[in-house]
Amino acid sequence: MVDPARTPLGRMIVEEISPVVMVLTTPSVEDACRKNGLSLVQMLSPFSSFSNIDVPVRTASDQPYRLHKFRLRLFYGADIRQPDFQSAKERLKNIVSQAVDEDNFQLHLEAPQIETLLNRSENEIVPTWFESFNKELIQTLSFSDHEAFDHPVACLLAVSSREDHTISRLIDLFNSNPLPSFNNGTMDPKILKRYMLVHDNHDGTHEKASRILAEMKSKLGPNDCLLLCINSAQDESVKPPEGPWSANHSVAPNESHLGRFLDADDLNEIKILMQDLTSKHIIPHMEQKIRVLNQQVAATRKGFRNQIKNLWWRKGKDDVIDTSDGPTYTFNSIESQIRVLGDYAFMLRDYELALSNYRLISTDYKLDKAWKRYAGVQEIMGLTYFMLDESKKDAENCMENAFTTYIKTGPSSQKNANRCGLWWVEMLKTRDQYREAANVYFRIPGEDPLHTAVMLEQASYCYLFSTPPMLRKYGFHIILSGDHYRKCDQIKHAIRAYRSAISVYQGTPWSHIHDHVQFHLGKWYAYLGISDVAVKHMMNILACRHQSKTTQETFMKDFLQIVQENGATFEVQCLQLPVINLPSLKVMFEDHRTYGMPTAASVKESLWRSLEEDMLPSTSTTKSNWLDIKLKLIKKYKDSNICVAGEAINVDVEFKNPLLVPINISGVSLICKLSVNDKDSDEVIQSHDDESSFKPTNSSDTGSGGSSFSLSEVDCSLTGGERIMVRLTVTPNVEGILKLVGLRWKLCGSVTGFCNFESSPETKKIHRGRRKPRGSPKDNLRFVVIKPLPRLEGFIYSIPERVYAGDVRQLTLEMKNQSEFAIKNVKMKISNPRFLNIGSHQSSNVVFPTCIEKESKREQMHSEADLTKVANAVFSFPEDTTIQGGKPFLWPIWLRAALPGSISLYIVIYYEMDGVPEVMTYRTLRMQYNVQVLPSMEVSYQISPCPLRLQEFLVRMDVLNRTISESFCVHQLSCVGNGWEVSLLHSDDAASLSEKLLGGQAMSCFFKLKNVRKSTSDDNKASSPTLTGSDLRLSSCNVNGALYDITCSPLADFHYSERLHQGLSLQGHPSTVDFILISQPGRGSNGTESSGIHHLYTHHSCHCSLANKSPISWLVDGPRTVWHNFSIPYTEIKLKMIIHNSSNDSASVQISTFDSVSDDIIPSSDTAPAQTGQVGWHDISLVNNITVTSDILKSPSSKCRALESVSPFIWSGTSSTKVILKPASTTEIPLQVCVFTPGTYDLSSYTLEWRLLPSHEHPQTKRASSGTCQGYPYHLTVLQSV
Amino acid sequence: MATTASFVIVSRNDIPIYEAEVGSAAKKEEAAQQHQFILHAALDIVQDLAWTTSAMFLKSVDRFNDLVVSVYVTAGHTRLMLLHDSRNDDGIKSFFQEVHELYIKTLLNPLYLPGSRITSSHFDTKVRALARKYL
Repeated sequence: MVDPARTPLGRMIVEEISPVVMVLTTPSVEDACRKNGLSLVQMLSPFSSFSNIDVPVRTASDQPYRLHKFRLRLFYGADIRQPDFQSAKERLKNIVSQAVDEDNFQLHLEAPQIETLLNRSENEIVPTWFESFNKELIQTLSFSDHEAFDHPVACLLAVSSREDHTISRLIDLFNSNPLPSFNNGTMDPKILKRYMLVHDNHDGTHEKASRILAEMKSKLGPNDCLLLCINSAQDESVKPPEGPWSANHSVAPNESHLGRFLDADDLNEIKILMQDLTSKHIIPHMEQKIRVLNQQVAATRKGFRNQIKNLWWRKGKDDVIDTSDGPTYTFNSIESQIRVLGDYAFMLRDYELALSNYRLISTDYKLDKAWKRYAGVQEIMGLTYFMLDESKKDAENCMENAFTTYIKTGPSSQKNANRCGLWWVEMLKTRDQYREAANVYFRIPGEDPLHTAVMLEQASYCYLFSTPPMLRKYGFHIILSGDHYRKCDQIKHAIRAYRSAISVYQGTPWSHIHDHVQFHLGKWYAYLGISDVAVKHMMNILACRHQSKTTQETFMKDFLQIVQENGATFEVQCLQLPVINLPSLKVMFEDHRTYGMPTAASVKESLWRSLEEDMLPSTSTTKSNWLDIKLKLIKKYKDSNICVAGEAINVDVEFKNPLLVPINISGVSLICKLSVNDKDSDEVIQSHDDESSFKPTNSSDTGSGGSSFSLSEVDCSLTGGERIMVRLTVTPNVEGILKLVGLRWKLCGSVTGFCNFESSPETKKIHRGRRKPRGSPKDNLRFVVIKPLPRLEGFIYSIPERVYAGDVRQLTLEMKNQSEFAIKNVKMKISNPRFLNIGSHQSSNVVFPTCIEKESKREQMHSEADLTKVANAVFSFPEDTTIQGGKPFLWPIWLRAALPGSISLYIVIYYEMDGVPEVMTYRTLRMQYNVQVLPSMEVSYQISPCPLRLQEFLVRMDVLNRTISESFCVHQLSCVGNGWEVSLLHSDDAASLSEKLLGGQAMSCFFKLKNVRKSTSDDNKASSPTLTGSDLRLSSCNVNGALYDITCSPLADFHYSERLHQGLSLQGHPSTVDFILISQPGRGSNGTESSGIHHLYTHHSCHCSLANKSPISWLVDGPRTVWHNFSIPYTEIKLKMIIHNSSNDSASVQISTFDSVSDDIIPSSDTAPAQTGQVGWHDISLVNNITVTSDILKSPSSKCRALESVSPFIWSGTSSTKVILKPASTTEIPLQVCVFTPGTYDLSSYTLEWRLLPSHEHPQTKRASSGTCQGYPYHLTVLQSV
Repeated sequence: MATTASFVIVSRNDIPIYEAEVGSAAKKEEAAQQHQFILHAALDIVQDLAWTTSAMFLKSVDRFNDLVVSVYVTAGHTRLMLLHDSRNDDGIKSFFQEVHELYIKTLLNPLYLPGSRITSSHFDTKVRALARKYL
């Protein structure tokens, strides 16, 4: 532990609590002194501190000790009173204000980092003016009447040798100047007096002074008089020795004049005089007084008896006048004397003695409820404990006690609490209890915001120095302090405080704190006129989404105000408003891939790739082709993308307004850099650009005509919380290397913000760049600009946005090439041939749908169904097609809405450029159209064989109108293929069909389908499907009434697509049939129908199964009822079986009959599937048998059993017959049964075993080549004839 | 119910992950930042205190004028802090315990990333209901 006296507090105590000498002077003394620019007190003061006075002192104890450091405080008598409150306040304010100027604040610099702050020592951080502030604050409390150490110990009366009647002057001087008016004379009027004669050497010789001195000595006592000779230096040109005054701040400003008439002898003399005064007069006087008082105290208060007496007596003590502060004590009351004794002992460093006296008096004051005095004693006790360096706890208790008591006593004592607090803090600081110190600083009551501010700031530093450092507390208190500084208009101090806090709150997620600090700093800087810094701070809080709307408005308003006051537009690197969503950055450019419309650009690259596959020269060489050519270029800019001069690069970027208040953004544009490279040297020789550094210049010059690229500018405004996608374009005009550097925008017309793409750490999504796995985003923003190339533009006219399913329309594809260079070898591919079909050139000028009507068909082109168009193949435009010079090239295209839903149609057009010896030999145009297809009609067919006739089928067509309001007219039903003929089942059905089918309505009707195919040989030939078929007119809705020819171009093509889609093969199969239902919108059903356009809806149902999976069908024919006279025991009944082979192969059929004697021979229908499941006999038997409906299908077994009772019949004739059937031929086989009794017989007890004989033409048919068919019931009733 | 009560959950990284003014007094802009300052500063004290006791509820750890900061430290060193002007230790303790439970439930949510802001409105409603009940 260091010696308490050497600690800051110790030094302070030694300085502050030291004997006071009252000085009384005559005006002439002052005159003499003023020649040196000093008053007498000022002149003497520097010499009244002694660092080593070495005086032996003997107080109450007999053991003498030596004093080393000592100090006298000299005051004019007039000054010995409680300082004026107002002037004290002014002085304090001055100190603070001056501190601003002295401290060159470096307001512009960055706030120090917290680490550096922590590494610095206390002295570096804490402003030095705190010390003087504290000192001044303590001094405002001097000369209070409840303490004795400020009471003058001695009185120094000074007269000049110039004056006459020196003696009387001295006496007058003392009498005319009353003793300091401590309350009710708490001060002993019998004060030690010393007389000093001041002689000015300018006035005369030394003799006169000596004479007066002798006179004084004789009159006033020989020891009480002193002589001081000053102004020995005659010539002011002689440089006087450096006086000690300059160090004293409170002296007059003109320091060069200080002590100019004092030479070294004078100084020496003053020094000796003061030393004498101290050691020979004052200290002995104090010693003596201590001894006297000590004896008195010992007599009245020490000892057991006195204590008892004191307690007893004090209780009944009523004679003391009570005031609000408790009792008043006069100077000769024992309490005052004890206090004086204690203080004297304290001043003479006899702390033990002082302490014992303080203890004594403290209880007395407490009993008397003299709180202020009690607090004062506690305070000095605390200091005594500290100086004794023992019992820290006691010291702190005393200080705490004093502090709280002062505060309790009321407003008048609050200032004393200040002093007490400061001492306490110093005490704690000395012991490294910074945290507690901070707490005390915080508790020190500030009657003035300024005091509070200073105290809080000191508190904050204490938190900083505590271990571990309490940074958050530091931040909080320094903010509080800054707030108080602001309240008393010390803006600079406020800024200083907040700036220090920034280091703590840097990047804090505590949003309100962050905003508060930045906002106030911004405002204050603006107040001081330092706009750039102000703006910088304000910008940090612009994107304050967590704040309320009003706060956001305030921030915004203040920000704009600051910016406007500044006049110039600001350019800032990190403007937070609006938020730019850099990951959303999409760069769209066109190299060899061009896009017909913006939406096409956002389609997945892989989709386009798959479409382009067939068209591009070769998949592997698509890239390497030009890589080879431009190897040199590529080597250098391998990672760059390619773009073409004169074609725009689009950049999509998302702006987001995080606030609730709307903001305006204007002049959004890209910042680009284009360097033109010299091909020979491969060096960038010329840099165009406004942006060699990122400090951007005015955007207008980039847009100027002569520049190497042009930019677009976008203005927009964002409402609260809105996000918008902004599309920016840059169009390079010359070859070179283009680099997208960043983004620029203007907020609310006054602040320009920049955003550098590369600086952001996020990886950006480059849309369609060459996707390098390890490519950095930086590279993706580089483009190699190549020479202008022809670019094909294409679009389809009048493509509808929404159509009903089945709608067939004629559209036109227009292609244009603005460039002079021709485009050739144009190819096209469509993603979905069900929806789009490329027409032929001839059909471009025909009218739809009349062109496909049957009447007009004669002169129509004979549409050989172009398979290449259908089978997802590439369509090549005629060889001689060249497009150039802006002339549009038209080509018809058919649209049919095949499927309901939202459909995207992708079209890729490939073309090669003529006469451009460039890196790119071809380009592709990608187009995308979205069509919304609404469901219209749902058509389903069910076909079953006609039970009565071979080769005829019944068709049930179910049509359901799925629309809500639209109505349709069915117009025509066509079945495709040359082997079929369709007709109405009943002719009167036509009437019902002719009606409109309203929304939601369903309809069924029946048709007869007849196979008219004659021979298989024809069929084989025609297996490549020429679409022929039969058409059936269903409706009379169509005024023209013409049937449409399904074999001509769009319908046939679409039909093929449908077939491809719905079935596996293109090939027509004899057992399936395709239907096309053509319908038209119901006329006048609603207003949507525009008169000019004839809509046509086609519904294709392909591969409708004829339901007969076995190629063999047969029919048993014969009488149903037979009359027979059973007198003849049996009858023979002849039947015939007609067998038809519908397959293309010859078949051998074996018919086996068996008599139904036992159950196990006739399989029940339950077991039938198990036996014949392979060939599907079971199913077929059920469906085939038209007379038996499904609900009674379960019954055959029971029926069989019922029939068992009846005596059986027997098959007569051959029990097994085998025939060979030629393809598509029919044969007849005779059958015979013998019946013995009348009854009803089920003649189903036969089987047909068939086997196809494979022919070489069709070696592999997918269908079953053999099978067994169970006979189906044929009921024969035999009746007894009369 | 306390007139002023500001509740905040601070993650172990000293980031506020949930903030709510649950006092009955009308909300003021000024108050919001002052409360943040006080609570933020109190973290320094909590830092010291948390390791001196095994209890989770640290009672009132700090004060500023008449506002008191009570803190509850969870096992994961998430701090539930309440700035209040009423003295109702038992109520505050129950409040903290129930909020702790709610917080654990939030943590169990597989979609919640520990240490991120709690945005669940359900959590917010529950906390406010608890505040009305206990404070």
